[in-house]
Amino acid sequence: MKNIKLDACPECDLLLNQSSPEIGEKALCPRCGYLLYRPRKQSVERTLALSIAGFIIIFPANLLPLIGMKLLGNSHEGTLWSGVMGLFNEGMWAVAVLVLMSSILFPLTNIILSFLISAHLYFNKPNKYLGSWMRWLQHLDEWAMLEVYTLGIIVACVKLAADADLILGFGLYAFVALLVITAMLASSLDAYLFWKHIARLHEA
Amino acid sequence: MKPNAAALAQGLIRCHGCGHLSKPTRLSRKCRVCGNYLHARIPHSVQRTTALLSSSYALYIPANIFPIMTVMQLGVTEQHTILGGIMALIDKDMMPIAILVLVASILVPLLKLLGISLLLLNVHYRWQRNARLWTKLYRVIAFVGRWSMLDIFMISILVAVVDLGGVSKVIAGPASTAFAAVVVLTMFAAKSFDPRLIWDNQLE
Ligand SMILES: [Zn+2]
Ligand SMILES: [Zn+2]
Repeated sequence: MKNIKLDACPECDLLLNQSSPEIGEKALCPRCGYLLYRPRKQSVERTLALSIAGFIIIFPANLLPLIGMKLLGNSHEGTLWSGVMGLFNEGMWAVAVLVLMSSILFPLTNIILSFLISAHLYFNKPNKYLGSWMRWLQHLDEWAMLEVYTLGIIVACVKLAADADLILGFGLYAFVALLVITAMLASSLDAYLFWKHIARLHEA
Repeated sequence: MKPNAAALAQGLIRCHGCGHLSKPTRLSRKCRVCGNYLHARIPHSVQRTTALLSSSYALYIPANIFPIMTVMQLGVTEQHTILGGIMALIDKDMMPIAILVLVASILVPLLKLLGISLLLLNVHYRWQRNARLWTKLYRVIAFVGRWSMLDIFMISILVAVVDLGGVSKVIAGPASTAFAAVVVLTMFAAKSFDPRLIWDNQLE
């Protein structure tokens, strides 16, 4: 096969000429409207920086109390982790494992994988695992659900505030910071560019 | 639209992992860039989606009739189903939150179940119209899937926070496992559906 400069749309399989839009522009599939490519500025550098920041903030976000309640002189606070343990102790192990994975394990894995990949690309170091890391990252992305968890916190707060005094813990601020960092991380990581870069490293 | 616009018709396969377009030979069925096995379409897409979808339908029933959580407060025990929890929110005049939970726990799962069923029917009966719109439906289903976890996360937080000995306590109910399974299975069903099948059926 001669150097093909073609692409296929992942959602309708239309054969396309490879396009390289400028930063700020985007390429859409002319047939089905799929967002093919939206280049990001300094994608590798930003991903590297954000993954380091995320790795630092994820520990307080998971371990410090998020919210608490005060009722009749008693007070109690909960963390991400104690929610998982509480479900586990009630015998709801399947739900506990799901919450553990989608709110703690997968966000952590995503941050670590983003760090490993962007660090290798930043220093132009080939690694035979780069492809599998990238694939794992793309698979797990959907299963890390911090934004949904945030909505869960808001609903829980409203429910609690109706019958008891609410305490906002320091972990909540760390959690919001983590949420912002992972959202920025997801939008700064330019998968198309990363794959092209990985392919170049493989060939070199 | 020109005939044979699909990459597959030209013998080209887009890698599901990295997007690299290649022409598989009999010797190499693996992607040169990421090492993934090359498949023109997701293997057994319709069968797998149907199986996952049927299981989701079956679990949707216990998810809605059994209590999703039990609240014990000052000796009074209250059991809530998903719908009951929304009713309780409306009774307490918390309309915005009630609507939020209604959308995430009732409407989104229904949209997913019915939407994926329609997509399967579309592929089976080779419907010829509005392929672009059907692809949009697929995208909406894939996007909204994770937001149904809202209820599960909220329960996990309440379990962690509301634990004041005899004064008040929240326990997750049997419906939470069934509901979590519905969310996960429909997410897998959406993932195993290949939207390119819609386009493969378009004559012209
Ligand atoms: Zn397309
Ligand atoms: Zn590949």
